[in-house]
Amino acid sequence: MRPIIILTLVGLLSASLLAVVDDLTREPIAQAKAEMKRKAIEEIFPFNIDSLKTVKTDSTTFYEALDKELNVKGIAAEAWTTLGYSGRIEILLGVSPEHRIFDYKVVSHLETPGLGDKIDKPKFKAQFKDRTLGDTNWKVKKDGGDIDELTAATISSRAISDAVVRGLEFINAQYPKTTEE
Amino acid sequence: MNEAVNILTRGFVRENPVTKMLLGLCPVLAVTTSAYNGLGMGLATTFVLLGSNVVISLAAKAIPNTVRIPSFILVIATFVTIVDLLIKAYSPELNQALGIFIPLIVVNCMILGRAEAFASRSGVWYSVIDAIGMGLGFTFALLLLSVFREVLGSGTIFNIPLVGEDASTMLVFALPPGAFAGLGLIIAGLNALEKKKGNK
Amino acid sequence: MAEILLVIVSAIFVNNVVFARFLGICPYLGVSRNIETALGMGFAVTFVMTIATALGYVLQKAVLIPFHIEFMQTVMFILVIASLVQLVEIILKKVSKSLYRSLGIFLPLITTNCAILGVALISIQEDYDLLTSVVFAFFSAMGFILAILMFAGIRVKLEEADVPAVFKNVPIGFISAAILSLAFMGFSGLVK
Repeated sequence: MRPIIILTLVGLLSASLLAVVDDLTREPIAQAKAEMKRKAIEEIFPFNIDSLKTVKTDSTTFYEALDKELNVKGIAAEAWTTLGYSGRIEILLGVSPEHRIFDYKVVSHLETPGLGDKIDKPKFKAQFKDRTLGDTNWKVKKDGGDIDELTAATISSRAISDAVVRGLEFINAQYPKTTEE
Repeated sequence: MNEAVNILTRGFVRENPVTKMLLGLCPVLAVTTSAYNGLGMGLATTFVLLGSNVVISLAAKAIPNTVRIPSFILVIATFVTIVDLLIKAYSPELNQALGIFIPLIVVNCMILGRAEAFASRSGVWYSVIDAIGMGLGFTFALLLLSVFREVLGSGTIFNIPLVGEDASTMLVFALPPGAFAGLGLIIAGLNALEKKKGNK
Repeated sequence: MAEILLVIVSAIFVNNVVFARFLGICPYLGVSRNIETALGMGFAVTFVMTIATALGYVLQKAVLIPFHIEFMQTVMFILVIASLVQLVEIILKKVSKSLYRSLGIFLPLITTNCAILGVALISIQEDYDLLTSVVFAFFSAMGFILAILMFAGIRVKLEEADVPAVFKNVPIGFISAAILSLAFMGFSGLVK
């Protein structure tokens, strides 16, 4: 009987201690998560963000980057593709209020290191800047389009294009443009 | 005092948990892609080792034999959860880098091993020193492998680039095969060193 | 159906527990050259891994989340695993005394097999449903068995080979694991 009592006691002490620590760290953890999100978004916009507004919809999550007067300086959207060489790739796409691409950031992927993972390198990303959904042929050059594919990583390149297009479509649907391109 | 020094240095080379006793290998291979990650894992593990060694050394006598191992595991799991929450709160980058290997510290056989073999039958002070010694030895092994893999595999050290952006690196070292090979080479190297010392 | 197939292939080959995820290394190295013992260990691990993952899923959904005590995850999971291993020990003692003896110390050590806790945690992380979790766990264990069988076979050959003294035993074991791991990397891109 005594062993069971001791074990239960240890268990209770452990649970209580952890409950306390969990309580103490709940705030900091939530803050840390928000900070990381903000840092990721800041990376794709070429300006400083004064505040961020999160908009969750059925399609995806959007982030509006606002300046001090609460004007929208940029919109970011979570997008993805399942056409990656090794499966799903998730990106964060950032556009201007006119829906011109600023940049994107690969949030998660399983592409081949050294080959497909170059999809997150500035060299490859640069070509997406300033494009809009309508002014580009989103196929890779091999397929007759405008996107320069990575050497030996055509599939990863096609996948990113797919993700970017998806992101642009989400944004166009959520924020109908008032100006013509 | 001599005894203390003995215990401290033991964990570093003579009974290094990784290279000599082959304990705690899973995190060693998995997180050593960069020196920053290796150091982070080493320190987190040392924290748990310290906490569990102290508590177990203090409480061992009160715990009946039949529930010894489960109690030890509970204590270790508690400290692992604490360090997990702390890392999530104050170093989210480390959390993302180490992933599930933080909670996996609980099955790092080194920690239960030290608790069983030493802390449960020694005083608190010696248990503390043992934890520090073993923890340092573990961290040292992690750093050795991660510096090796980071420099050769990514061309950086602690995320500071050593070569130009377009330079080719031996990527294989940043990948699973490189982890196995790197560790094998390091242990072989240490064996060679020991032989030399023995022959002198 | 196709998704489950993907999970299976991925668990055994593409994301092999040992060669890609780095879990279960300690027993992998310590596995004996004896095929029966290696298989016995493999089955024990399969049993514990599959049930632990299933139980873990149930506990997570039915207890940890509703009561907001997610922080107890590590503690609960490891207690489940430790209990399951105890169960296996008791069963084995009754059913096959010889296997029980030949596994020896490795049996209780299954508790500290990072592969079991690791697989359970991954299935929670990937948010698999119960069926997918069980399939994932079972076939990850198959991948583990594949790994230790391959290594047991290689070990036999290694002992007869002429290995330089400093590489003997452990280091050469790691180098062979490196080559196996390289081979398994060839499986990536298989799952589309």
